[in-house]
Amino acid sequence: MLLYFVGQVLPYIAGAIFLIGVIYRVAGWLKVPVPFQLTLFPAPTSGAGRIAAVGTEVLLFKSLYNNDKNLWLWAWLLHVSLAMVILGHIVGIYFLMNQFTLIGLSASASQTVSAFLGTVFGLTLLISLIVLFYRRLVNPEVKQLSDPADYIDLLFILVIAITGNHMRLPGVEVDLPAVKAYLGSLLAFGPAPIPDSGVFIAHFVTVMLFMIYFPFSKMLHFAGFLVNRAMLVEAAPVYPTPAGTPLRSSFAGARAPVADSGQAKGVQA
Amino acid sequence: MKIPLHMAKEKDLQAAGLRAVPEEEKQQALVKGIDQYRQWARSLMVMLETCTKCGACANACHSYLGTGDFNNIPAARADLFRKLYKRYFTWTGKTIGRYIGAEDYDAETLAKWVTYFYQCNECRRCAVYCPFGIDTAEITIAARSIMTALGVVPRFMTGVAANMIKTGNNMGIPKPATIDCCEFMEDEMKEETGLDIKIPVDKPDSDILYIPSSADFFSNVDTMIGVAKFFHAIGANWTIPSTVLEAANFGLLFSMDAMKEQNQRMREAAKMVGAKLVVQGECGHGWRAAKMYTEGANGPAPFGLVHILDYAYQNMDKLKFEKLPWRVTLHDPCNYARAGDIIEQPRELLKACVSEFVEMTPNRERNFCCGGGSGILMDEMMDIRMQLGKKKAEQVKELLPLDFFATPCSICKAQLPHVMKFYGMEDLKMGGVMDVVGKAIVLA
Repeated sequence: MLLYFVGQVLPYIAGAIFLIGVIYRVAGWLKVPVPFQLTLFPAPTSGAGRIAAVGTEVLLFKSLYNNDKNLWLWAWLLHVSLAMVILGHIVGIYFLMNQFTLIGLSASASQTVSAFLGTVFGLTLLISLIVLFYRRLVNPEVKQLSDPADYIDLLFILVIAITGNHMRLPGVEVDLPAVKAYLGSLLAFGPAPIPDSGVFIAHFVTVMLFMIYFPFSKMLHFAGFLVNRAMLVEAAPVYPTPAGTPLRSSFAGARAPVADSGQAKGVQA
Repeated sequence: MKIPLHMAKEKDLQAAGLRAVPEEEKQQALVKGIDQYRQWARSLMVMLETCTKCGACANACHSYLGTGDFNNIPAARADLFRKLYKRYFTWTGKTIGRYIGAEDYDAETLAKWVTYFYQCNECRRCAVYCPFGIDTAEITIAARSIMTALGVVPRFMTGVAANMIKTGNNMGIPKPATIDCCEFMEDEMKEETGLDIKIPVDKPDSDILYIPSSADFFSNVDTMIGVAKFFHAIGANWTIPSTVLEAANFGLLFSMDAMKEQNQRMREAAKMVGAKLVVQGECGHGWRAAKMYTEGANGPAPFGLVHILDYAYQNMDKLKFEKLPWRVTLHDPCNYARAGDIIEQPRELLKACVSEFVEMTPNRERNFCCGGGSGILMDEMMDIRMQLGKKKAEQVKELLPLDFFATPCSICKAQLPHVMKFYGMEDLKMGGVMDVVGKAIVLA
């Protein structure tokens, strides 16, 4: 009964809360206008430049690199290893660790490389989480800034990383084809019973709980990052205002505190 | 309240067209103010909800570095706002508030807000260093604007607002005084150059409307003279408006409605003289307000808009200079470098005008604020202002001896002489970039 709930009901509850929650919060930001350009100079002036500017922030954490190389190292390692781990889950499980045969490796070589990369990134994630948790405790400014949730967030991911890495320990066997078949059944909305493996269930359940926690937490910083950066690289206003430029918000039209000179007439929001 | 700021009283508020919310209604009004603002500007919500408290902003902020006060760390400053925001507008804040750092409104709330949102210079340096680009200036602008609507605002700001309503400038200069002052400057220039260089006031059918800083009519006369010589050299058909003798826009620093109103004055002045181009004088936040907020606050504008330093730079091939034998450095006003896209132009002008131009470190968009930014120019705040200016003083000290310290913003010009004196550099000559242009320019 409990296994039925955990294996065949909880994943849908978690998935729904995760998706709806994230969309609800991000949509809540996006429906609010940006009444003024918040361009931070020097700013890119072309579309490609804007993509490049945000792209280097996303991929390399450029601002943080320029500011604090120590924090950058661990934060960057954490996020890169996390991204690699997520990617590794998708391809490693789908191809049953044979994904590197696609680039010419033999099946056994592919499985060795897959296991090696999984271990490297899994351990990198674990170590960078511990370092950042330690930093939060010992850096006096960061310690004073931190809320309980800031520690819990790190611990939560730490538990996921530990239970995940646990499955890689020598002597711990997880039936990968069974996991693949199970996850496939969930995605096909015809849930099969969860594989009967304690270490897998522990990892799977913490991930499900984290997905439920996610939209209520500041894990949403990944989306805030993009929405924020998009505002900072917006093109600066051009004067005279080109014909046909829409009003940015109702503030520009209706609520004039002094009599309007008529220049904005006819474009009331 | 931990800072000696003089707050506006009932009559000060009235003179500025504001009113005080009764004490017992303040909590409700503050929560309502936050609610309105968060539905008005996306930046507030996103920036409040994205911070991960990594602490990368601490050493980027001159206010924290100068005062050593924890709450002057940008993330901590924003947290004073964030705690309330979480408590009243997030589901987790309402239920498990302590866990995520939410806090109820209490008797200390507004005192803390005044104390720390008036030690933020809105310089945007933290936005350059924050991995998310969180701009604490956005939080400060919101907090100050919300407090002003409650009648919680420094008397300095309402004084400026009242002068603005009365005369169209921060200093309260009436039109006859403006004309007198222009005649005085014209006489000075006649004596110096033998030429009839005019500073036209309200001249109809002018191509260019020049908006000076009102301080250029008191303490920074050399800036205005430099501008007049420049316009003379390029043969411009220009005028200054008596109705808005003010590039500054303190509205941006305490009330978004007042900001909008001031930009509107600029538009009307441009329309009155038929100007196709508005040129803004040396004022940092005023430039930001004009360039970045006119479209958003006042709708499409029919005129061109350019900063005097950009305009002078664009016209450099028409100008002749005789280099001054000076060693000069440049302070990048925050609202030029980070918020106004005026970065290389003053450097090019200075390099053309003086024999030796040296950069301070850091510079451009990484430069530190003078410590007076966002209108923290109150006399009663002098001790704190000196702490806010500490990083700037250290930067300048490394470059001594200097013949001139170019600070092309009226707030910097008001703040930095005090800072330099306080840190033992009282002999340093300071002024705008247009002052230097005016001294180096060769007029035919």
